Amino acid sequence: MEQRFLKSVLGVYVAAFVIFLYGPFIVLTILSFQQGPDGGPQFPIIEWSTYWYQQLFGLTPPSRIAPLPFGDALIRSLILSMMTMVVSTVLGVMSAQAFRRKFKGSSVVFYLIVLGMMVPGVLTGLGTSLLANNVIGIERHWYTTAFATHVSYTFPFAFLVMLAILNRFDASVEEAAWSLGVDPWTTFRKITFPLIFPGVLSAMLFAFTLSLDEFPRTLFASGRDQTLPLAIYGTFSVEIHPNIFAFGVLTTLFSFALLSVYGILMGLSVRRARRQAMQEDIA
Amino acid sequence: MSTTALSIEARQARVTRWLLLPGIIWMALFLVVPIAMIVYVSFWTQTTFNISPKPTLASWQQFFSSSTYVDSLWTTIRIWLIVLAATFAVGYPTALFVGLFVKSKTLSTVLLVICVIPFWTSFLIRVLAWRPMLGKEGAINIVLMKLHIIQQPIEVLLFTELSVIIGMTQIYCVFMVGPIAFMLARIDRNIIEAARDLGAGFGRIFWKIIFPLSLPGVVVGAIFVSVMVLGEFATSGALSGRKVNLLGNIIVTQVGSLKWAMASVVGVILTVVMGIVIAGFLRIVDLKREL
Repeated sequence: MEQRFLKSVLGVYVAAFVIFLYGPFIVLTILSFQQGPDGGPQFPIIEWSTYWYQQLFGLTPPSRIAPLPFGDALIRSLILSMMTMVVSTVLGVMSAQAFRRKFKGSSVVFYLIVLGMMVPGVLTGLGTSLLANNVIGIERHWYTTAFATHVSYTFPFAFLVMLAILNRFDASVEEAAWSLGVDPWTTFRKITFPLIFPGVLSAMLFAFTLSLDEFPRTLFASGRDQTLPLAIYGTFSVEIHPNIFAFGVLTTLFSFALLSVYGILMGLSVRRARRQAMQEDIA
Repeated sequence: MSTTALSIEARQARVTRWLLLPGIIWMALFLVVPIAMIVYVSFWTQTTFNISPKPTLASWQQFFSSSTYVDSLWTTIRIWLIVLAATFAVGYPTALFVGLFVKSKTLSTVLLVICVIPFWTSFLIRVLAWRPMLGKEGAINIVLMKLHIIQQPIEVLLFTELSVIIGMTQIYCVFMVGPIAFMLARIDRNIIEAARDLGAGFGRIFWKIIFPLSLPGVVVGAIFVSVMVLGEFATSGALSGRKVNLLGNIIVTQVGSLKWAMASVVGVILTVVMGIVIAGFLRIVDLKREL
């Protein structure tokens, strides 16, 4: 009785919590349909329109409000996230694989890797640009210094995901392969990797999204050419228009699409694994 | 036989070393060395437009003799503590519901996904979205006026310390919910059943069983929130109208005016604060064991 009462109170609370979580996004979506080009980024809505969405795609006649300069920045960000995703996932799988054996100094190495997600981005960014700019004296670019800081941030996440996956991994299938004389690399490629693939996919997803939205590290370390978060930050200092809200809605939808692709791939690989297991049972 | 066993052992050790090496080198070069650089450059000599490696304590003295800089240290610590408490207070009941009260596995997954979806919007746009929420003619004031709860719009909501705290709480509270819900879901229901059979009320069960067992989740969540709040500068910059200056804001302005030495001093102070906070949390719970 007491418990049921408590559960309904908590249920109401969670509903309020979700409203708190979504409130800003709902307001943002409403305001993205503000009239243009004269409507500002605030209430009331003068007239509903899709002007700001059209402006993002260059479909409106030129007006006093310049379109968002996001094109190049978006492409740079996508390339950077891809690079970060690949390198940090490879590093994550390698290190997690190494951690399956006990070795001396393992907790030092563990904390060295995890440190990457514990140091605030503003410090990694500052340190890396000091190193490049003042001590060595090389130019900073998004694909060099910023890339280095991105990997040192996403690699720990990939590592932890893989560690959790490999902790639950049944090593007897590998041992079976070894005892049949298959060399370790082929065993990894043919046995281990397919089995941990769902985990690899999660690690990749983590690294990609973290890198795509990474801001404090990039701010100092990326030099002249901006990535997407830097371009968004640039609009903070000038006047804000509803086009930035429309852009936010669109990128969120894009993320949904990405999440769906991930969900489908995940579902497929789980189903394939189940089918294989069933075939083995029959055989 | 024993020699081959040994050589397999030795071979495996070598493989482990090669697997670890790239990661260790990467983290050493692009994480440890940069932090060491911050410490090193904080002792450099800064002139108006130049900086030279001649060692000096000038920037350190400047930091501690300026009330703006020292104040920013206290502001950072104050906002960090408030946001930490707020994310815990807002997040724990949600985690309790998701992790313990919801019986269906599907429903709790759905609720967690609902919590994560806002993260698919760019961080900076999420920060920006608070402006039309909190402003004098913002959504909160409109709703409260429509409901006749207030007659005049509340003006302290935007461009104050309060707006920074509200914004950060909303952006970071999910990092509390996740780990706590995870730990709560792992609690063996039989323990709670047993306590109830022995006549313990919910309050007693909560304080004696549920809360202590969820503590590792609270600590992990607190580490996440602390790392992000202590290094913040975007939320405070965008929602306070530059009235709230955190250590992060000072670093950004100093780098912007090429005062690398002063930026480094602030960086070292932030690192020290960070180190104390994380070491403190890690004393409560062993992160490696909880995985």
